[in-house]
Amino acid sequence: MGKFKLFMKDLGLFFEGALDLKGKSVGMLQSDIHNTDDEFLILCFADLLGIDIPTSYYALELLPYLEDELEGWQFRMHESKSVWAKKGGQLDMDP
Amino acid sequence: MNKIIFFGGKGGVGKTSCSSAFAYNHANMGEKVLLVSTDPAHSVSDLFNKKIGDRVTKLDYNLFAFEIDAQRESEKYISSIRNNLSKIVSPVILEELKKQLDAASVSPGSHESALFDKMIQLINEESKNYDLIIFDTAPTGHTVRLLTLPEVLGAWINSLMKKRRKSLKLKNMVNNVSRESKDKIEDPILEILERRKATMEKARKIMVDEKQLSFMFVLNAERLPIEETKKAIDVLKKYDIPVNHLVVNKILPENPSDKFWQKKKAQEQNNLARIYEMKINKVYEIPLFPFDIDEVTIKEMAKYF
Repeated sequence: MGKFKLFMKDLGLFFEGALDLKGKSVGMLQSDIHNTDDEFLILCFADLLGIDIPTSYYALELLPYLEDELEGWQFRMHESKSVWAKKGGQLDMDP
Repeated sequence: MNKIIFFGGKGGVGKTSCSSAFAYNHANMGEKVLLVSTDPAHSVSDLFNKKIGDRVTKLDYNLFAFEIDAQRESEKYISSIRNNLSKIVSPVILEELKKQLDAASVSPGSHESALFDKMIQLINEESKNYDLIIFDTAPTGHTVRLLTLPEVLGAWINSLMKKRRKSLKLKNMVNNVSRESKDKIEDPILEILERRKATMEKARKIMVDEKQLSFMFVLNAERLPIEETKKAIDVLKKYDIPVNHLVVNKILPENPSDKFWQKKKAQEQNNLARIYEMKINKVYEIPLFPFDIDEVTIKEMAKYF
């Protein structure tokens, strides 16, 4: 009986490792966080991308708390030329 | 009587003189009045021959004045952000961000936003200390934008807060934070947004309340000011802000002897008839005075309100 239990446990570990369910779900969450944060930054600092919004003055006071995300965000926004390519990259093609 | 009155109108029709005279009259009747000038030219100082600036200054018994300095307000705001930044951010990044702040501090949009911020702050903080607050505003378009601001900003803040909450929630999920601490999310960004939202809502409540805020348009009995006033009244109607009073300034004396002035007077009568067609509750007619309005002659003008 002990052996069977051990086998089942190993089997479980095998599938967990092969399918990487936990990693996948964390990855999905993280990309969701990423997108949400990017949207947040667009709403605050669209003027940095050349889009004039009337609220940018009020977003300035959030600057101290967002500066470390800002540079990467600006780069990403300028780089993402195609919406489709970006969405395609996010699709999980693994079985 | 309304608590907050905005004086608006086309440039040069006499907004400052009329709002000052109106304020003077009400102060004389025993109300405690605050006259706020938002005009960068600051004519209230010139009219009363007294330096006012951005602090509450006593002009007369019961009459106080305040001049908003938009540039200074925006500099104050930005330097407070700069202080905040230097506490949090590394010196290298600080340099980079300072450039951005400097650019913001000279942009005209910032001055306008700073002005609105100060007006909202005055409405929120001073309305309990005075019986009447009178805003002598810059020309029409400005004031209309101020009134739409709480709505625009409110929507913006709401969506920001929604996004921020979502992001924080997801981050907690990833980090496996226990349920108890999940419920109370503490975040400096959310705190700032909450604070702004509260001020906006408070100001909005005051502004949409018919009993508290009203508009008074100053115009002359001439074609262009009449047209502009009509348009402004239409816009304000959309935001449910009533215009119950008009002030027709610089009305010519009766029975002029000269032919030129007879013609001019006839034209004025026509235009006055058009003003009354607008069906505004109360129309004040103020004559053209043979003297400049200053701290003494304002008494003459105040009689007409």
